[in-house]
Amino acid sequence: MSILIDEKTRVVVQGITGRMGAIQTMHMLKAGTKITAGVTPGRGGSQVEGVPVYDCVEEARAEQEINTSVLFVPASVAEESCMEAVDAGVKLLILITEHIPTHDTMRIRAYARSHGATLIGPTTPGVVTPGKCKIGIMPTHLFTPGPVGIISRSGTMSYEMAGLLSTEGIGQTTMVGMGGDPVVGTSLVELLELFQKDPETRVVVVHGEIGGTQEEKAAVFIRQKMTKPVIAYMTGKIALEGSRMGHAGAVFVGQRGAMENKIKAFRETGVPIAESPGEIAVLVRKALKI
Amino acid sequence: MKEIGVFFSSSLLFILPEKDKAMIFYEHEAKRLFKEKGVSIPQGEVAKTSAEAAEIARKMGKPVVIKAQVLAFPGVGAGDAQTAGSPEEAGRVAEGLLRKSYNGQQVSEFLVEEVLPVQKEIHVAIRVDGAAGAPLVMASLERLSDLDEEAKASAKVASSHADPFLGLKSHEARKLAKALGFTGDSAGKLADQVHRLYKVYAAWSALAAGFNPLIMTPDGNFFASGAFLEMDDSALFRFPQFRDLSLSRILDPLAREGKTIGVTYVGLEGDIGVICTGAGIGMATVDLISKRSRPANFLETGGGITEKQMGEVMRLVLKKAGLKGVFLNMYGGINPIHEGAKGVVKVIREDRVKIPVVAKAIGNFQEETWKILEEGGVTVIKTIPTDQAVEELFKRLGK
Repeated sequence: MSILIDEKTRVVVQGITGRMGAIQTMHMLKAGTKITAGVTPGRGGSQVEGVPVYDCVEEARAEQEINTSVLFVPASVAEESCMEAVDAGVKLLILITEHIPTHDTMRIRAYARSHGATLIGPTTPGVVTPGKCKIGIMPTHLFTPGPVGIISRSGTMSYEMAGLLSTEGIGQTTMVGMGGDPVVGTSLVELLELFQKDPETRVVVVHGEIGGTQEEKAAVFIRQKMTKPVIAYMTGKIALEGSRMGHAGAVFVGQRGAMENKIKAFRETGVPIAESPGEIAVLVRKALKI
Repeated sequence: MKEIGVFFSSSLLFILPEKDKAMIFYEHEAKRLFKEKGVSIPQGEVAKTSAEAAEIARKMGKPVVIKAQVLAFPGVGAGDAQTAGSPEEAGRVAEGLLRKSYNGQQVSEFLVEEVLPVQKEIHVAIRVDGAAGAPLVMASLERLSDLDEEAKASAKVASSHADPFLGLKSHEARKLAKALGFTGDSAGKLADQVHRLYKVYAAWSALAAGFNPLIMTPDGNFFASGAFLEMDDSALFRFPQFRDLSLSRILDPLAREGKTIGVTYVGLEGDIGVICTGAGIGMATVDLISKRSRPANFLETGGGITEKQMGEVMRLVLKKAGLKGVFLNMYGGINPIHEGAKGVVKVIREDRVKIPVVAKAIGNFQEETWKILEEGGVTVIKTIPTDQAVEELFKRLGK
């Protein structure tokens, strides 16, 4: 088992003819992902890496089996591209694009939710269920199948966490990049809930950072609803007040978004916090009793 | 992703600005933007000399408040404001303020505003509620807490989420006014100002906008005596008029150069240069270096690096005086790190870099990347945990 994506996932790549879309389509196909179609307005009839390209998602869905869209579109058209996928009946959207205006993201999120679609991202590395399906930009070889669920606010930290676990022979059920923006489609609590329900996931590792209140809310959820162990690793401890640390959402001003609130919330819930990436593996071993 | 999206990641704000990567509005500029949407602001003009300040006060023919215009930073606050009863006094006050500096900025402009009688002060803020995925409008007769959760929970704060598509509706604004105890005409006027504030927030695709405070005069009118607006970095492509201005307002020249190259540079106090290809790993790296030493900077490239850009990034980090070493932490996911590596070693060769350069590189094209870096004299770490890589760096530096 896994969450969100598995061997039954059939993917359309929106923005497939762009440089990034084409390269990542190649990497995803190599990882075994079943990409049935690509979409770029005006490029219908062409092919990328042998994948048929359509002018719109609706046309692609009329001819191909599609249940998930991954988007590599420019930020300026992310909103309309997501709405197009939702209107065509796609129920899972993985929005890789960075630097989308927050007002646009709020509308994308609201639109997806009101139509029963799940949005992951934006500013996400994507989602990977090792050995079954990889949707996004992560280096495939760092991920291996196993019992650990990973949720990360950062692409590069998700690679580090999965990579170091894999090196020690500890695989992952699914890794979800939650996204580093102030507004994301699916929250940390919602993702924890999915991992809690997934029978194969035995431990969940969460990478959190300064900004927002996701970690504080997660701590409440973990205390009330989680029976599986959760391990946290937090970054941004030496951030400067008011400076965005690369992610649009990674900023604190006064108490707002401050690290100490998040660490306090996890500590009070009994969530072990790794002091370094290396310590994550130690804590996971302990939780798995191996 | 920056090559396919419009990449310009400045942030515009004032009152709660970012030190290193913000365009900050001066108060008088923000008020002009508010006025465009029909927010009532006190009568006022900008002066650059004490003579001009006196002249504006004379023209107004009433007591004025003279506000030094400086860019406000968190925890430091804006410049002083002083009242003056006559044009002569206005000139003297301005003269005094001209000699002052705040947070390293010499005062060179004033906002000369009419002094209005205050019956009530109303604090209003519109922020993005990340958890709800919607704008949150909060209003109170007291100063609002920094913490949205705390503010929302307070009995003294009236709040309302706005629909991301439809915005704040008039009746929602009226409900807020009523919840604060306003009735009749004054409730209607207050709701109108809040509604206009929402229009400012929406028009500029802002992360935050507010009145700090809005004042009610004894005759029942409302004026924004304090106003704030925090622009969204990511929305700047829609406002090309701010593009040059936003760069000019970054005070740290290295952060400004980073912005020009298309990366995030945050200056820190130490002597180890840091280059990372992602924000998460970048934060982890500076956190870990800080345990035993001090990073000179945080630098995150985001996705889509090139040979040329990584060369520029290397030169940027090396500009900081007194560097003892440079540490690179690179992941090849969306980034072609083998291309980036070429740019790094080219700079090492051309600029005859003598300090140790240590790089961890993992991901797509890692073997090729290692070869390029090693041939260029870089110590390469081929294992994953950043803590181990940082230990190697310390060893190399004799720490």
